[in-house]
Amino acid sequence: MMDEELEIQDGRTARETLQQADSTTVSPSPREAEQALETLGERSALDIFGSQSTLNIAGYGADRVYDLTLWMSVGFGVVFAFVMVLVWIAWARNRPVGKWWVWSGGIVLPMGAIVTLMVASTSVLVATTRHDPDALVIDVTGHQFWWDIVYDPEGIALRDANELILPVARPVTLRLRSEDVIHSFWVPSISGKMDMIPGRVNELTITATETGQFRGQCAEFCGLSHPLMAFEVTVLPEQAFEEWLTYTQGEARDAARPDLLAGRDVFLKSGCAACHEIRGIAEGARLGPDLTRLGARASLGAGMWRLNQGNVAGWIADVQDMKPGAQMPSYNHLSGPDLRNLSAYLVSLK
Amino acid sequence: MRRIRIFAVAVILTCLSAAAMAWAALRPGPGPLQDVAMTVDNTLDAVASWYRRGPGNRRPDWQAASHQIHDGDPDRGAQVMIDYGCGACHAIPGVTGARGSVGPHLDGFAERAYVAGVLPNEPGGLVRWLVDPVAHSPMTAMPDLGVTEADARDMAAYLYTLRGG
Repeated sequence: MMDEELEIQDGRTARETLQQADSTTVSPSPREAEQALETLGERSALDIFGSQSTLNIAGYGADRVYDLTLWMSVGFGVVFAFVMVLVWIAWARNRPVGKWWVWSGGIVLPMGAIVTLMVASTSVLVATTRHDPDALVIDVTGHQFWWDIVYDPEGIALRDANELILPVARPVTLRLRSEDVIHSFWVPSISGKMDMIPGRVNELTITATETGQFRGQCAEFCGLSHPLMAFEVTVLPEQAFEEWLTYTQGEARDAARPDLLAGRDVFLKSGCAACHEIRGIAEGARLGPDLTRLGARASLGAGMWRLNQGNVAGWIADVQDMKPGAQMPSYNHLSGPDLRNLSAYLVSLK
Repeated sequence: MRRIRIFAVAVILTCLSAAAMAWAALRPGPGPLQDVAMTVDNTLDAVASWYRRGPGNRRPDWQAASHQIHDGDPDRGAQVMIDYGCGACHAIPGVTGARGSVGPHLDGFAERAYVAGVLPNEPGGLVRWLVDPVAHSPMTAMPDLGVTEADARDMAAYLYTLRGG
């Protein structure tokens, strides 16, 4: 058992695994990057089996945690079998135990096991929380019950919400904050979790090693709709990620049809802009999620519903039904046509 | 002998819990286990419908006949209702996550006389309503979700399976 667990330290070091991830990731052709961008947001992680599983490994941290768990389970399995055999022997022989048993089984063995576990888990902890000075910085702020996300806050400061787009094989430092209560950021497929604590900034460096679509979830009870506080994570090829950053920076798409124009007017006149920002239409509001690219997101309501006009309309009319305890009031005083136009407009923002 | 029996029980329990864990980690979808479950489900359905028709109740069900949609697939209908987001406004028995209270509850929909109070509740009326609600009721809050006619037929077929209590 000892040998198996020590292998974690003697085997790959943090650096080696990172380099391995770099070299195994084939640099994608422009066509692949294009394809990844085209299909972005078409499918929700809600429809993908295992998108929120620690066993579906797509990140450096998740890989280390998986290795640790696997070897611990194997080790404990061996210990369990060994103890069962000892019990069987003791039972069969029916003789008083000697002092030797107490010393070896009661003191030496537990000490050895505890020290081994401590060394193994500390090495994983050090490896998975190591900072990288060249990492891309993303600010993630937890709110009841959604996620505010700012890409490259010192540079382009691109604001989005409830969806994290990541480049593959590039370290990303997340600066985790909270606006109200304690939340916890967790994308099981990519990395371990870290708490978001009001009044302080926790840094977590993660590296995705596979492209694809995954799901994150708030992992610290934060109120009535805590289980409904999730988010979509899409890992893109590096080139596609850069392109995505570039074209997402601009203002929201124009309303191109009469019903969409009417919907935009409803947005402005009903007071939505007091909490929600749509770049180019109503800027500055920070109380609710940024809606500039709502229609392009993979899901609605912080990773909980598929994004379509039906769900958006139902959301506006009865928020408290879809997300009990949310700060947004239900807008059921809108007339039927107003609700239809507003939902059509919001879904058209891609 | 007793010890061996106790040990055997412990081993069997351990194996059972390991099997349960493996089963929980399995991918949902087609497989031998699902086939067994489907067979049990279909048998129960057949028994239930045989019992409902009953020995003393052999008159033809004209209402059910008038709600037949020949090329509609109710199972697919329930699935596309998730994709269109119907459940945000309507509570629909048997559709995952559909428990909205914005619009009417759709339980017992097959028994209703009208669709949205404007069209007769028969296959043609329901399909037309689902494809373009605004054309039939200009002030409705129900958006035109761009439902295709094929999808609407499947959805209607599912709604007509909702017979209420």
